[in-house]
Amino acid sequence: MAEIEQSLLEIIKDHAVGLTQAPTRETLIADLGIDSFSIVEIIYEVEEKLSVEVPFNANENPFGDMKTVGDLIDALNNLIKK
Amino acid sequence: MSRNVVVTGLGAVTPIGADIKSFWEGLTAGKNGIVSREFTLGDDLALTTPSAPIDDVEERIAGLGRELSRADRFSKLAVLAADEAVANSGIEFDDALGARTACIIGTGIGGQATLDEGYEAMLRRGKKPHPLSILKVITNAPASHMSIRYGVRGPAFAISSACATGAHSIGVCAELIRSGQADVALAGASEATLTFGAMTTWKAMHILATETCRPFSKNRNGLVIGEGSGVLVLEEEEHAKKRGANILARFSGFGMNADGKDMINPAVEGAAGALKLALENVTINDPSAVYINAHGTGTLLNDPTETAAVRTVFGSGADDLIMSSTKSMHGHLLGAAGGIETVASILALNNDVAPPTMNYDEPDPACDLNYAPNEAVARNIDVAISNSFAFGGLNAVVAFEKA
Repeated sequence: MAEIEQSLLEIIKDHAVGLTQAPTRETLIADLGIDSFSIVEIIYEVEEKLSVEVPFNANENPFGDMKTVGDLIDALNNLIKK
Repeated sequence: MSRNVVVTGLGAVTPIGADIKSFWEGLTAGKNGIVSREFTLGDDLALTTPSAPIDDVEERIAGLGRELSRADRFSKLAVLAADEAVANSGIEFDDALGARTACIIGTGIGGQATLDEGYEAMLRRGKKPHPLSILKVITNAPASHMSIRYGVRGPAFAISSACATGAHSIGVCAELIRSGQADVALAGASEATLTFGAMTTWKAMHILATETCRPFSKNRNGLVIGEGSGVLVLEEEEHAKKRGANILARFSGFGMNADGKDMINPAVEGAAGALKLALENVTINDPSAVYINAHGTGTLLNDPTETAAVRTVFGSGADDLIMSSTKSMHGHLLGAAGGIETVASILALNNDVAPPTMNYDEPDPACDLNYAPNEAVARNIDVAISNSFAFGGLNAVVAFEKA
């Protein structure tokens, strides 16, 4: 779990052009500076890096209510476990 | 009220010069952009063939910003050319002008490198393609990126007609302005197919040159594929004058048709017909002041067919004009050919210099015009024409006169 979380934080950091320091669980997603493409790119990299399948469907708006990076990590973790 | 179209901006990224200034220097100096290059895919696939790559733009591409960092190379080259054309036109797109500006950027293929990478990942390694592959591949990607980048929101799409793509895009943009559907247009084309997959596919057709491109020369033996982009800013004449724009040329005609005969073999009547249509409203008093940038692929069939088409249209005047093929320097940019060759034609008109046909060393009785062999020719040019004749028998010709 901790290993996955660390990997996710590193992937998110590479996309967070709006941040001057590394993101933490408490960082607001709104502050990351990510755009409409970033979520699918992050998921692609999660799949490549962790050799997992993330059953993500953008039409189901699975990340709709997320506020923080912690929310994103938990949601990704839940998808990975599916 | 008749609406005239003028050219107010030019941009080019080519194998012999990655901006207008160096492109023109290359064209007049007979610069060679053709090299023998190895194309690879994965660890084990490789093909070496003559090609005309662009090697000096990586830094400029890296500076295009985040949106373009996700784009295929053909979109990046297109935006580099468009940035230059927009900058040298001096135009600024406010909200109202943005809504009246068209953007038609064509391509023959689209995101070839993305296709190669995606198929390699899927079919050879059992991996997924990049999640944005579709957005990278689609042929309208350059037009879409430009509409976002410059805030241009008029008619925007891609035209695809193989080697006639660029001329079709420019001609259709001019018609949009003439008909009142737009006041300004970004018009051109882009191509970036220098990949293992594309080059192997071209090679399978047995029409690639073994060494270099020798248009109209008896010892020609095929085409050399190049990459790049050419983009024009076209503008309604009064609009351009009102803002004090530097008018580079007057758009004077566009001819397009289809041979309706053969997927490979070109037809004299089709090419001549398109050329005639493009010149319908052009008065030619002195054929020696005409410059034609030839389609001039350096293939067995194109060059004599194109020569015969020019003879059909110009009659005895054909002996006085100059028709050169700049593909001898920058290779065949496929969809983008008409883009950069229209730029070359306008530069020839502006500078009163006909660029040469390089690598010409053996006259062919079937190709008997003045091709400006191996050396640029300085002479007055009043009319500049760019010919594009595509596989599938699709013809497009654009003509320009001095402003």
